[in-house]
Amino acid sequence: MNRDTVFGSVCLALAAGYYLTAAAIPDSALSDAVGPQGLPKTYAVVLGALSLVLIARSMTARGGHRKAPDHPPAGPSPFALAPSVIRVVGMLLIGALYLAVVPYAGYILSLAGLIAATTYYQGGGVNGRVALVAVSGALVFWVLFVAVLGIPHPPGIWPALF
Amino acid sequence: MLLLLTSIVPAACAGVAWGIFGGALPGISPSITMALLLPLTYTLDPTVAIVMLASTYVGAEYGGSIPAILIRTPGTNAAAATVTDGYAMKLQGRAGEALGISLYSGFVGGLFGLAMLVLLAERLSSVALAFTPQAYFALGVLGLSVIASLSRESLVKGLMAGVLGLMVSTIGTDPVTGLTRFTFDSPELLSGVAPILVMVGLFAIGELLIQTGEPGWQAVEERARIRFPGPAMWRRIARPQLIGSVIGTFEGVMPGGGGAVSSFLAYNEARRWSRHKEEFGHGSPEGIAAPEAANNTVACAALIPLLSLGIPSSNSAAVLLGGFLMHGLVPGPMLFVQNTEVVTGLFTGLLAANVAMVVLGYLIMGPCIWLVSRPKPYLMAFIYALVVSGVYAIETSEFQVGVALGFGVVGYAMRYFAVPLLPMVLGVVLGFMVESNYRRALVLSSGDYMTFVQDRISAVLLGLAVVFVVGSLVQHLRRREL
Repeated sequence: MNRDTVFGSVCLALAAGYYLTAAAIPDSALSDAVGPQGLPKTYAVVLGALSLVLIARSMTARGGHRKAPDHPPAGPSPFALAPSVIRVVGMLLIGALYLAVVPYAGYILSLAGLIAATTYYQGGGVNGRVALVAVSGALVFWVLFVAVLGIPHPPGIWPALF
Repeated sequence: MLLLLTSIVPAACAGVAWGIFGGALPGISPSITMALLLPLTYTLDPTVAIVMLASTYVGAEYGGSIPAILIRTPGTNAAAATVTDGYAMKLQGRAGEALGISLYSGFVGGLFGLAMLVLLAERLSSVALAFTPQAYFALGVLGLSVIASLSRESLVKGLMAGVLGLMVSTIGTDPVTGLTRFTFDSPELLSGVAPILVMVGLFAIGELLIQTGEPGWQAVEERARIRFPGPAMWRRIARPQLIGSVIGTFEGVMPGGGGAVSSFLAYNEARRWSRHKEEFGHGSPEGIAAPEAANNTVACAALIPLLSLGIPSSNSAAVLLGGFLMHGLVPGPMLFVQNTEVVTGLFTGLLAANVAMVVLGYLIMGPCIWLVSRPKPYLMAFIYALVVSGVYAIETSEFQVGVALGFGVVGYAMRYFAVPLLPMVLGVVLGFMVESNYRRALVLSSGDYMTFVQDRISAVLLGLAVVFVVGSLVQHLRRREL
């Protein structure tokens, strides 16, 4: 499967799921002629049709009838870039971990952790300099968002301790 | 006057400085620079916020030329045309002169674009008071028809991205019946997905994830000092600047044109009309003046369709549209009637931004070079921290940060599958307008579909949409890239 086939298949599945969800929207006494399901169902049908066109086109191109229009050119497998995908998953995990921790650990500590973890993950190493940059960076962000802009980022457990 | 001095001018200066820094970082485009700033402007006065965002666009277009000249790596796509002659001048020991020409040409182009914006935007929107639901629906369709022009590489993928955006716009409360749709019993989704979350996710987080797998860029090893051109050089680069400005205006207004296309077109045309053709590619000042004037003209000219019709013609204009929406402002015909102070403030702010670009471009060259030379892991960590902090600030909700991260994954996947981002943004932004006015018009006409062609403005706008789509289809068929 090349990238277009994968993308088309994913969108086809999405269109099917979206159509079924749209069809399950209940009718209302206030409903107009189009109704709350009208346009969503249309969108699902159009996306499904376009997905089929994309899949068919990529199959035809793969058969050697014409050059696949991928930019950049599609590799032999859409999973060929697995190492970079793993790196991306790692970055997302850092973000997810931050979201999970910030209500308890508070903004400054969590953000310092996010900066340190991202720096390490991107090849910045583990040393005192990274820790110093992470903590001072988190303090700068706290000053900007909380002290200057007045945005109440989660304080965590710290206020209760003092 | 007080607002001007205390808020608009400082906002323009801050936006320009932010833009120069962002534009100077390779891989961080003007739209990403603006998307990173977008959440920070949430707490500001709407006019000040819009001025800051628009000024960022201005600054970023110049900032992109700094690494293009110094390390042969364009900071933005639009600065790619500057690399050849800019870096050649640097090798000849004329880096300061090249940077000065770039800055001065950006200033000239920016003023030209601003003049066009002031002259054209209000005239285009003068039909505002005659707009009916039918006309607003048709305007939305015209905006969506732009997708055909934006899908340069694959029309099918562009259309798919547009439909995906329309699907996202249906999440939340139905505009007519009040029923909830696609919320999966989540109270956070009742008001839908804010366009800003989609934009920050697609542009900023998506790029961050892409950069994760990319190698770091080269550090700047020398200290460059800007040298502004003298009268003789002014005369020499006046013609390429004019060429760049005219092309920039045209491309800025055209959907999908943008800074990169205009820069290369301007470079080619400047070479065609030059008396020193042989110098192009070997350090020609004209080869810097034309593209730099063009991309800074685009930064203002792209606001013409945005302000007058509510249609973003580029990624950066789409992010600016997100800024308007975030502050409850709707660009388009009624903006000039209901929010004149915002429009006036924006025009004034853009003038201040272009002047500030010259001053700040000179003053912050040192810090800029320092920033570009920082190790990439630190820069990425700070950008990530800025994104999560900024998105949280919008509604003080961790859920929204999660939504933005989710759209970051979508943005990464779309880049991976070579699917254009802007059609999806257009779908998200225009989806609600299209659906609500379509259904409202049908209710008012008792379900008569002819109402869309009986309304004159609607008929003209729908006709234009058909012309756009058919024209793009013909172009795609000619290139055999459907």
